[in-house]
Amino acid sequence: MAQPHMTIKTREAGKVVIFDVEGEIRRSDAPQATLHSLVESQLDRGKRMVLVDLHGVSFIDSFGIGQILASYTSTQNQGGAFKLCGISQKLLLIFQITMLHKVLEIHEDCDRALESFD
Amino acid sequence: MTHGRIERYLISHGDVRGGEARAALNLAAYFFFITFTFYIVKPVKESALISFLSPSWWPYADLVTALLIGFVVALNVRLLDRVPRRTYLTASLLFFMAGTLVFGYVFDVHRAGAVMTPVIDPSGIAFIIWVQAVVPAIWVYAVIAFAFWTDVFVATSVTQFWIAVNDVFDAHQAKRLVGLFVTGGLLGGIAGSAAAALVTFARVLRIEDLLLAAPVPLALAAVTVNLVYAGRQRVDAAVGDGRIGAPARAGVLESFRAVRRSRYLLLLAGMLASAIVAGALINYQFKQVLKSAFESAAERTAFIAVLFLAILAVSTALHLAATGRFLKAYGIRWAIVIAPAVLLAGSLAVFALPAGLLLGWAALVRGGDKLFDNTLCQSVRELLYIPVPADVKYKGKIFIDMFVAKFATGLGAVLFGALYALRQFAYRNDGSMAGTLAVVRETGVLTLAFLALWLVMTRLVYREYPAVLKKDIRRKWASGDEAVARHVDLDLTLQIFNTIQSRERSSTLYYMNLFNLVRRGGLTPDLKELLGIRRDEAKARALDALFDVGGGSFHPGLEEALADEEFRSEVDLVFLLPAYQKVMGERLEGIAGSASEVDRAEAANSLSRMAPTEAALRALGRLLEDPSAEVVLYALMSAAVHRFPGHVPAVVRQLARPATRPEAQSTLAAYGPGVVDALASALRDEAEPLEVRRAIPEVLARIGTQDAADVLVEALARRSEDLEGALVDALFKVRTDRPGVRFRDAEVRPALLGLVRKACDLVLDPPGPEAETRALLDIRVRRAFELLTLLYPREDVVNAYQNIRQGTARTADYSLESLDILLDRELKELLLPLVEDLPAEERRRRLRRALRLK
Repeated sequence: MAQPHMTIKTREAGKVVIFDVEGEIRRSDAPQATLHSLVESQLDRGKRMVLVDLHGVSFIDSFGIGQILASYTSTQNQGGAFKLCGISQKLLLIFQITMLHKVLEIHEDCDRALESFD
Repeated sequence: MTHGRIERYLISHGDVRGGEARAALNLAAYFFFITFTFYIVKPVKESALISFLSPSWWPYADLVTALLIGFVVALNVRLLDRVPRRTYLTASLLFFMAGTLVFGYVFDVHRAGAVMTPVIDPSGIAFIIWVQAVVPAIWVYAVIAFAFWTDVFVATSVTQFWIAVNDVFDAHQAKRLVGLFVTGGLLGGIAGSAAAALVTFARVLRIEDLLLAAPVPLALAAVTVNLVYAGRQRVDAAVGDGRIGAPARAGVLESFRAVRRSRYLLLLAGMLASAIVAGALINYQFKQVLKSAFESAAERTAFIAVLFLAILAVSTALHLAATGRFLKAYGIRWAIVIAPAVLLAGSLAVFALPAGLLLGWAALVRGGDKLFDNTLCQSVRELLYIPVPADVKYKGKIFIDMFVAKFATGLGAVLFGALYALRQFAYRNDGSMAGTLAVVRETGVLTLAFLALWLVMTRLVYREYPAVLKKDIRRKWASGDEAVARHVDLDLTLQIFNTIQSRERSSTLYYMNLFNLVRRGGLTPDLKELLGIRRDEAKARALDALFDVGGGSFHPGLEEALADEEFRSEVDLVFLLPAYQKVMGERLEGIAGSASEVDRAEAANSLSRMAPTEAALRALGRLLEDPSAEVVLYALMSAAVHRFPGHVPAVVRQLARPATRPEAQSTLAAYGPGVVDALASALRDEAEPLEVRRAIPEVLARIGTQDAADVLVEALARRSEDLEGALVDALFKVRTDRPGVRFRDAEVRPALLGLVRKACDLVLDPPGPEAETRALLDIRVRRAFELLTLLYPREDVVNAYQNIRQGTARTADYSLESLDILLDRELKELLLPLVEDLPAEERRRRLRRALRLK
């Protein structure tokens, strides 16, 4: 079965930039415009509130985690806020085991996540 | 808010912001009326002292004031403690208005020898008779009481004025506005002393009649101070962070404790005391010269009046032309030292002067002391209080300004009195200028000692000032790297994800990764549960029972096997076996060229544990060029273990691929200092893909040696727009992670100034819409601050930047103040207008001036 390709769509809700990620975030399927490079370009535009919606993500490998952490670091270094939402239960478990939930602000519900930026 | 004409003028021509204009103007007017009153009362006091007390008694008069004023201060503190600030300041002014009328009445009775006031009630006749009898009897005491009352008026009114300033404005605002306030005070002094001089020379009014006029400016002062406090809410709203706190409340003992507990306030008190003692001794030298130079008391009084008018006029001119500019250009650092240094030089001159020039010398030194006191010293002194926490400042300021200042005046009087008596000045000074010169020189030795002490204290205070300022400037956010490092083992996390991913790819790859995890101690119970290891073990044990294999295990527990030390040693030994290396050496080439991605990934993974034979390194080199990002990932991890120089070019090439870039960076960083030259070449080579060149600074930052940092600085000097961000981020990382690395000012500064100038250009010549320009400016400013950490203390720069960006108005202002101290003039002029909260036109004007543009 062919792996579903990763797509990243960008939209804005007030001051928050939302990245809707779909598919599998895999090294083997890494696009030229990675999540980190997209986040950095938004930071360069002065947007410092970032929400990544992972509703449509079925799998993340170490490359994907690297991208998420690099995006978090870049946002944090500029005094911004980086949050995740719509994360699957399995992924949440991995995040907990690896302590990533201590660093990344993770919301089950994306609307709540959006409100939390206020 | 609508503004009047004067307010609009101040906003457009002065460094006054919209929300501040009205309060600033009212405070300046308040100070004007106070000093106006003082300078019309002062000649009356001086005249009375000269006429009715011998000059040799002047130190005693000062001493009496110094001793008694403590009680007034105690009362003042008690009232401040119990009465709301606005009410208290108004009541104080009403009290002084009443005082001038009473003393005016007493002076009038003394002059006329009769009560002139009409009495309607016949019972008042007894009062008239009583007054006429008492006033002549207590006249000397009335004069001393009047002198004391004048000192009380000055001490309390000026302190109350600065307390009002501190109530309304914070450090940075006050620094901008202090010039306006001092101008108000100086103009009030000039107007008051000009009025007094007019009376002295033209005899339009009797000098005593000035007392009856004094309530008028005091009434106006009461009006303005009420306007200030009535407008507090509006100022507060304009500032936006509720900076006006509730008035602090303190007793005398508490005020003393506040000073004793703060090393900074103790030093401030010491500095002020040494300055006042030196000033008092200069004044005694001045008076001794005047005593000899003028025979007529009237001429002497006229000389004093004109001198003070001249001092105030010059003070105002100097203040308007120089004080603000001097403070902006050189900051508190040099402003604090100039007065004691100049006075020290001036006081030394008396030892080389002939007697004929003594009057001129005395007027210059005394005038200089007052001149500094009116301008630079006053501004600096008040600025030095600003960073002290509000409650401590309130308590400490009262104690220092009143108790310490008066103690120093008393000390000056005691020292002069003792010197006067011990050295028998009364007998040695025959009234000639030569005799006076000898006496003045002896007093001068004492003066020089206190001026030197003042100079030393300024250095001690200034050394402490930045630390006090920085106490309120705290980090607003941790860096991303710090936050991740605090909670997460990044390598282990990535390995866990690799393991999970490999489970669906190949059992061999999966076990290899599991083995690696166990070796790192990363196979936690939770992770085992997640990976399904426990379920597998349960299934295996169920099969054991089915096959009835007795005590032995059909499928030994995976965890135990992987964790077993002997098992791990055996695996390692297999990899070291010559036979294994021979067989694998022959096979590796084939596997590296296999069509199966899984086979190649397994080979790339296992290479990390193999001996670095020629065959193994050759195969690894081939796998590093593999089209599959997953194969390259494992090959890069193996390359990081072997660190074979011949693999560096292949690893560098992987920097171009987003999918392998982070691991390629980690691998190159694992090579360490040996790879710096190769990276430097690639960084310089414009033929290399930009992605590769952009990824190299991060690697150099992770290596973090002095050589790596030098390569980054050298690359930054080439001013490549494309690499600027990566280079600055990398240099900031070096500064953060490797405090021992040194950066030479001469190499960093040109690049830093170039970057700041580019930021200035964005303001002066915006390249696009406002939001876009703002974002570009933010990037440039952030990079400028990151580079500043290479030349200045990192914590100070980072804290200042974060508080300017996301702090309260107060911490942002403190941050600007700390940068003002920290940075040199050129950087300050260019950088501060970029980050200060300025009107757009003012920002452009200051930048044009800094860039020397028309």
